[in-house]
Amino acid sequence: MSGLQGDAALSDQVYEATLPNGLKIILLENHKAPIATFQVWYRVGSRNETCGKSGLSHMLEHMMFKGTKGVSGETFTRIIEEAGGNNNAFTSKDYTAYFESMSADQIHVAIELEADRMHNLLLRARDFETERMVVMEERRLRTDDDPQTCLDEQLTATAFHIHPYRWPVIGWMQDLKALSLEDLTEYYRTYYNPANAIVIAAGDFKKTEMLTKIEKAFGSIPRGPSPNQTKPLEDPQSGERRIRMNREVQLPFVLMGYHVPNLRTPDSYVLEVISAILAQGRSSRLYENLVRERSVAQSTNAEHDLVSRDPSLFLISAEPLPGKDVTEVEKALDHEIRQLWEKPVPSEELEKAKNQLEAAFVFSQDSLVHQVMVLAQFEVAWDWRKIDEYVPRIRAVTPDDITRVAKQYLVPENRTVGILVPVMPGAGKGVPADTSVGKSTVR
Amino acid sequence: MSRIISRTIFFIFGVIVFWVILAGTVYASPALPVERMVLSNGLIVLVSEEHSLPFVTMRLLMEAGSRFDPPGEEGLAYITARGLLLGTSRVSAREINESVDFMGASLNVSPDKDYVTAGLRVLRKDLDRGFGLLAETLMRPIFPEDELKREIQTTLGSIRSEEDDPGAVAEKAFEKHLFSGNPYGHPVEGTSESLPRITRESVVRFYKEHYFPNKAILVVAGDITPVLETWQRGKERSETFPTLAGATGTDTDSKIVRIDRPITQANIIIGNKGISRGNPDFYTLAVMNYILGGGGFSSRLMQEVRGKRGLAYSVSSEFETHKYPGSFQIVLQTKNASAQEAMSIGFREMERIRNELVTEEEIEGAKKYLTGSFPMRLDTQAKVANFLTQVEYYGLGLDYPLKYPSLIASVTREDVLRVARAYLQPKGCLVVIVANPGQTGLDSPKPE
Repeated sequence: MSGLQGDAALSDQVYEATLPNGLKIILLENHKAPIATFQVWYRVGSRNETCGKSGLSHMLEHMMFKGTKGVSGETFTRIIEEAGGNNNAFTSKDYTAYFESMSADQIHVAIELEADRMHNLLLRARDFETERMVVMEERRLRTDDDPQTCLDEQLTATAFHIHPYRWPVIGWMQDLKALSLEDLTEYYRTYYNPANAIVIAAGDFKKTEMLTKIEKAFGSIPRGPSPNQTKPLEDPQSGERRIRMNREVQLPFVLMGYHVPNLRTPDSYVLEVISAILAQGRSSRLYENLVRERSVAQSTNAEHDLVSRDPSLFLISAEPLPGKDVTEVEKALDHEIRQLWEKPVPSEELEKAKNQLEAAFVFSQDSLVHQVMVLAQFEVAWDWRKIDEYVPRIRAVTPDDITRVAKQYLVPENRTVGILVPVMPGAGKGVPADTSVGKSTVR
Repeated sequence: MSRIISRTIFFIFGVIVFWVILAGTVYASPALPVERMVLSNGLIVLVSEEHSLPFVTMRLLMEAGSRFDPPGEEGLAYITARGLLLGTSRVSAREINESVDFMGASLNVSPDKDYVTAGLRVLRKDLDRGFGLLAETLMRPIFPEDELKREIQTTLGSIRSEEDDPGAVAEKAFEKHLFSGNPYGHPVEGTSESLPRITRESVVRFYKEHYFPNKAILVVAGDITPVLETWQRGKERSETFPTLAGATGTDTDSKIVRIDRPITQANIIIGNKGISRGNPDFYTLAVMNYILGGGGFSSRLMQEVRGKRGLAYSVSSEFETHKYPGSFQIVLQTKNASAQEAMSIGFREMERIRNELVTEEEIEGAKKYLTGSFPMRLDTQAKVANFLTQVEYYGLGLDYPLKYPSLIASVTREDVLRVARAYLQPKGCLVVIVANPGQTGLDSPKPE
């Protein structure tokens, strides 16, 4: 089972071309509904930033909605809206992507707008000042006022010393304050070029017609510089690192991050299976043992980023039930990891994890936007054709692989542990047994 | 598990015509092919075929939401719904979990204010077994005592955890005050006071009173309904629902609820009483709200609060509709120091759209977006299943996708002004502010 539709391999249904200016084009016809999604992915994210300039990629993403020489920001929004389209953009550590989804007969609108802002963006001081305030509000909303995300940010900054994955995609608040219009202009010039971009579309269109439209809109954009994409690799970690973060919160939280490889190393598929064994579904080990059997946690999670461009972290976390000791929960997580080293996973359980991953892969094809995102993520990380290897490589994982990989990567010397510690208001120590939830006044 | 249904699944996608003859009640819209039938026990079944991908998505809606919670036992509907997956007379919770995961399927229940939906997504090859589990959990739950206790503990834990989510804190406070004394006022999952009072007996009673095929709607891509024909019909029931006098009573003063938290942003909700889904002004309000704050980047609130002033990342307005009147809300987050300014803009925009006609350009943009984007509301199996349960529950008619464009197209600028005046109450609204009081400078937090 590696099919998108029927039994044909996905790569058989995808068409790839590269324009003379270096722009890579990936097209996938899908006639299920009369709609199409058009996306431009730039190979730039927080991994391309330098120390002190964190948040620059994401800041530029915001500025991409502020208008070009020919099309103001307001006009851009109105054109998409009147075409009945949805549009948005997102930035990660590895990429910045822009997308429009709409009726297939309107999609030409998106193609022209995206080509325009690839090389005609206006970066104006006044827009920048306002939009930087918006980004700061976004940081407050998503990170500063979300204690678990704060812990994740701190843990990542502790786990990485050399690689730019150490700073958050949204950027440190102090760095955001210090960014300049010149930084943005230089960054746009360096990374927003055909040679550093992928145009990817899927939906109810004929690929030859779509290709003609894309060539017409993007073909004349100058190639631009090809940025250096090589990043220094992290030295092997040589001992456990631990951090504690004190906050006025209701409940503690424990998060562990292990350095692991990405899809360029076959072991990453074993880690994909391990993450399913640990945390996918209500019969998974963490849920069954920590939430149900022992009733020490109210939620558990494991995350593995297979399509990370550079090696990243395998994360395991748990939120204790009220009244349960966070140390006990951490021990319970440790126990589950040790089980992976010590006992071969029973064949039925392994089969279950593989079924889950394969089914999730099939389900993910339901959404056009998601389909395109998966292709693009594989392309940014390595090559979109590798998507065909996903299910076979998962299917090939053996109990011995799991034991070996767990012993190699999921070991204390290779991890960073973060603990969120609840403290009393205004205090820097102590764990209140029963924290007041804050006062509420009505006027 | 496959013993539960002995039928094969292979003709699921091939017998729709057969169903037409059997069931009689059929409607097929070109926009969304769907067959509707009513089983002898009263269960309404909607079938929408989709062949391009090898899996099936189902939603089963039961009118057993939190508005039926007895006073003092808030959360009973929620625990009962969650309890469906905690074991039946034939399979334990663990066996259910193992079975679902082995298929790589998902089987979940989502309790809401009006209803509970059970959702199943399963590969076509496992449909027989997956649907068998769904039917089993629905028809034969036994609600084991120890499992219910654990479920209540976990729910209490997540309520505690939500105290660290300022947006959730604001939303709960808003609903509590807006729907004061009304069954929509308490959180669906109950409260830390009410949950410990819930017993197995009350869960069993609630299940017996509310889970019947004649109060349920099944939406599915495929033919697998016969197993649910053995589900016993329940008595028809009548219901009285208290109406709300207004947002805050009848006076013109806004009511302000302040909740203090050591956070960087003020989480603000400004709102008033809303409408039921059946209100004929629903479509005019959709256009009005799109212009005010529903329309993403292009809305007035987005332009004024974010685009021009950079005061927020997210600002939006929404009419949340239920079977009975719901709420209107403007929701935004801004650094504590900007709370007053952002709120003032919210009030100003409510007044502006009540006092001036929207522009031709605005109304045309809204109408083009709402009609043009409609196909994207139906572009995945999950969206189709959700959409059809709503269409049936609210009696919108299976030709709704055909009717929708004309319902929107007929809205005029004068209509928008009329509904803005009728349904926005800037002078008598409810304001909830979850913020760090030392930084907001809000001594007398009053609207302009």
